[in-house]
Amino acid sequence: MQGLLVLLNSHKGSEDVALLADDLDLEIDEILPSLDFASALGLVKVHDGRATFTDLGKRYVAATIRERKAILREQLLRTTLFKTLLRALDNAPEHQLTDEQLTHLFSVTPAPADESVQNIVNWGRYTELIRYDAVQHLLTPVRRAPSAGRTLTVNRPPPPAAPPESHPTSGPSNRKASGPSGPGEHTSPLPAMASA
Amino acid sequence: MVIIRVEHVDKSFAGRHGNISIMQDISFDVADSDFVALVGPSGCGKSTMLRLIQGLDRPTSGKVEFRDKPVTSVVTGMAMVFQSFALCPWLTVSQNVAFGIEALGWAPDRIKAQVDRYVSVTGLDGFQEAYPRELSGGMRQRVGLARALAVEPSVLLMDEPFSALDPLTAESLREEILQLWRDPSLPPDAVILVSHNIEEAIQLADRIIVLSRRPAHVLADVHVDLPRPRDRKSSAFYDLTDRVYSLITEGGGPTTAPPVTNGATASQ
Repeated sequence: MQGLLVLLNSHKGSEDVALLADDLDLEIDEILPSLDFASALGLVKVHDGRATFTDLGKRYVAATIRERKAILREQLLRTTLFKTLLRALDNAPEHQLTDEQLTHLFSVTPAPADESVQNIVNWGRYTELIRYDAVQHLLTPVRRAPSAGRTLTVNRPPPPAAPPESHPTSGPSNRKASGPSGPGEHTSPLPAMASA
Repeated sequence: MVIIRVEHVDKSFAGRHGNISIMQDISFDVADSDFVALVGPSGCGKSTMLRLIQGLDRPTSGKVEFRDKPVTSVVTGMAMVFQSFALCPWLTVSQNVAFGIEALGWAPDRIKAQVDRYVSVTGLDGFQEAYPRELSGGMRQRVGLARALAVEPSVLLMDEPFSALDPLTAESLREEILQLWRDPSLPPDAVILVSHNIEEAIQLADRIIVLSRRPAHVLADVHVDLPRPRDRKSSAFYDLTDRVYSLITEGGGPTTAPPVTNGATASQ
């Protein structure tokens, strides 16, 4: 995703999506997952086939590596996916979950499940929201998330992209996934992260 | 101030039918705060040049100097970032980053502080205990970079560091390298990048040393005077790409064409 933002920045912050892809000799569908994710995080707006930075997106590309991480952390915390994950960790015995439990929690379909869970784990680690022990396949929160006091039924959220530089290969089913938005949801109900 | 001086360097290897000359009479300097790119066709000896500079190999004739001292063995003031990342799969991210500094004989707490610092500046926080297999290519190369920077090298050598990455990842990592390079509180004093990607070289470097095909000689030493951040779609960028490309494709036979040095700027 970060590669996409850097690319958009080199197009002065606004460009036709097709031309963006063309600049790196990529097909449009190779940059779409990153684009979806960037817009779900409120960094980019896509309108009429044209991607444009939001104010936050502008701040992001002007920031240092560490500041960017803080922005991503804030934005991830607003997504239902991470709210759910952190609440689950909060309520779990000893505040830990195995990645198998994570798969179950998000009821991801078997085929892309490994990748989806790995993506979620990677984003959580990158933004330092969670720790992950690859030997024991164990997730733990870095800091306790505030309890929201309501239960959410998680309905197949699609995987987020892998850490910032990469563009995930999300299958068509991910894009279609949708569900009723939870009350008080901050993010726009975009495909990549907001379904709940 | 000149940090590296390469003077009349020849390099040949023994082949089945006698010696094969890799490079002939290569001379150039790298000064403090230079970001130099070595470009040239495949097999022209770009990577060999890096090995000679770091002292991993010796020239057949001519000499390489680092801070006015001849390079006779591996130089400690330099660090390399490899195309293949070259991480130890059995070590965690932190341990991989510590790998280079452990040879310096520092106290453990100093090593730890240094590792933490460079893990952090390269954006690897959160992955300290991860093993390389858990990481994407971009994150692996960040480990390679953190390991190289952690020894606080005077010169950072990068051998095709973005070639093994997908285009978007490479784009993001190039931008991060420039961000780190701009930060005066971070090493190195100079960077030498080997690349076969001319646009990448122009995007990153302030000077491009164009090598001919084997046996390599210096075809041109091109100064890139374009303001940063560089716009790949600007006509100045395009003209420069075109010029370097022409130099390489027309770049002559073994001993023709005298090297052009310092003659060219982007504004021409």
